[in-house]
Amino acid sequence: MTTSQTISIKSDPSTDIACRTVDQKERSLLRKVIDRIADRCRSRSLFILHYCTGCGAIELPPTITSRFDSERLGIQPMVTPRQADILLITGYLSIKTLKRVILSYEQMPGPKYVIGMGSCTINGGMYWHSYATIKRLQEYLPVDMYMAGCMPRPEAIQQGFLQLIDNIDKGRANAWQEYYCNYDYYLGNQQALFGPDWHTPTDVIAEAQHYQLFSENTLGEHTALLAKFASEYVTQPIPTKVLQREEIVE
Amino acid sequence: MSEQLPEVLESVFREIPNLVFEQQGPRRLRVKLRADALPALLELLKGRAGYLHLSAISCVDWPQLNEFELVYHLWSYEVKNLVSAHIYIPKKPGRYVSVYDLYIPAAFFERDIHEMFGVFFEGSPSMEPFILTEWYGPPPMLKSFSTLGYVEETFGWQEYSPEWLSSVNSVQ
Repeated sequence: MTTSQTISIKSDPSTDIACRTVDQKERSLLRKVIDRIADRCRSRSLFILHYCTGCGAIELPPTITSRFDSERLGIQPMVTPRQADILLITGYLSIKTLKRVILSYEQMPGPKYVIGMGSCTINGGMYWHSYATIKRLQEYLPVDMYMAGCMPRPEAIQQGFLQLIDNIDKGRANAWQEYYCNYDYYLGNQQALFGPDWHTPTDVIAEAQHYQLFSENTLGEHTALLAKFASEYVTQPIPTKVLQREEIVE
Repeated sequence: MSEQLPEVLESVFREIPNLVFEQQGPRRLRVKLRADALPALLELLKGRAGYLHLSAISCVDWPQLNEFELVYHLWSYEVKNLVSAHIYIPKKPGRYVSVYDLYIPAAFFERDIHEMFGVFFEGSPSMEPFILTEWYGPPPMLKSFSTLGYVEETFGWQEYSPEWLSSVNSVQ
C-alpha cells in the first residue's frame, strides 16, 4: 500500500535543484571560469570607435589598414558607439568635444575600454595652458590605458593594442566598471565643467544596477542634482539615500 | 608709391581726411584712419572701387595704449588688391558701430570679437555667445586674462615620473 507524500514546494534561493546548499565560493569559481573564457574570446575581437577628436589622422589609418594592419590582432574600426568596444581618444579634447565623447561613451555597451592616445589626454600636452581643453581625461571617463607621445608612432599604437589585448585576456581591463561604481565622482567632474544642469539621456544608475555594479559611491551629492534636471526617462525617482549593497540585492 | 595705386583707390582715399596708407606689397595695402571715418571708407570702397569681399575683421588688444585695434580686411576681385583698414578704439567703453548693413558676413566676425574681446558692436544682429562652451569668465583673448591662472584654477595636473625620465635626469 502506498502512501502519498507531499513535497514542500517552497524553494530556498540558497539551495540548488538537488536541495543542496550552494557553496557561494563554488558558484563564484564557476563564474570565474566562464568569465575567463569570455575574456579570452573578447580580447580576440575588438572594434574601435575611432573618435578622432584632435589629431592622429596621419598615424591611425596606416595602423588600421594594410601597412601595419591591426586587423591581424583582431582590431577593426567601427563607426558607431553602439557597436564598438574601444573608445580611442586621439589627441586633445576641448570642453565642447568632451561633452560629445561622454555621450558616445555612455552609449557603448559594456564591457568597454577607453584608450587615451597622445600626451594631450595625459596632462594637456602642448595645450597645457589652454583654457579650452581638458587636462586629465581620467577625471571624466575611466581610462584603461594611455599611450604617451605626440603622436605615438603606429608601432607604439600596435604595442599598446597588444598590451590592452593582454589586459583584457587576463581580466585586468576593468576600468569601465569604475564608471558605474564611482559615477558620482565622474558626474561631479563633468558638472564642474558643464554646469550643474548637465545630464545625459543614458540612465547610468539603472545600468549600474543592471550590471550589479551599484556601490555606495554610485550616488552622492552630484547625482542628487540629476533629480532636478535629468529627463523623465532615467530612473525616477532618483534615490537620494545612499543604498547599501545588501539592500540592492533584496 | 602713388603711381602704383589704382585710380579708383586714389579717388576714394582722397575723400577721407587724415588717412595714411602704406603699400606693403604688390597686392597689399595698409590703411590707417580715424575710427569715425571707417564706415564711410567701407561704403566708398564697396560702392566705387568694387571691394565686395570682407574677408575678416580682426582685433588686437594693446594693454599699454589701453586701446583695441580693429582691422578690416577687404578684397577686390576687380583690382585684385587687399586693403587692411586699421582703426583704434578706446577700451572703455569698448563700443563700435557694426558694418553689418554694408557687409553681411560682418555679423559673424563681430559676434566672435564680442565673445573673445568684449567689444560691443551697435547694430549687429546678434551679440550672443558663439563658440565658447559654458563660459562664465572674462573674454579669454584679452591680454589681462591669465590663461595659466584659469587652468590652475579649473583643472588639475597629474604626476608623471616614469622610470626613463629619472635615468635621463641622473645623467645630466
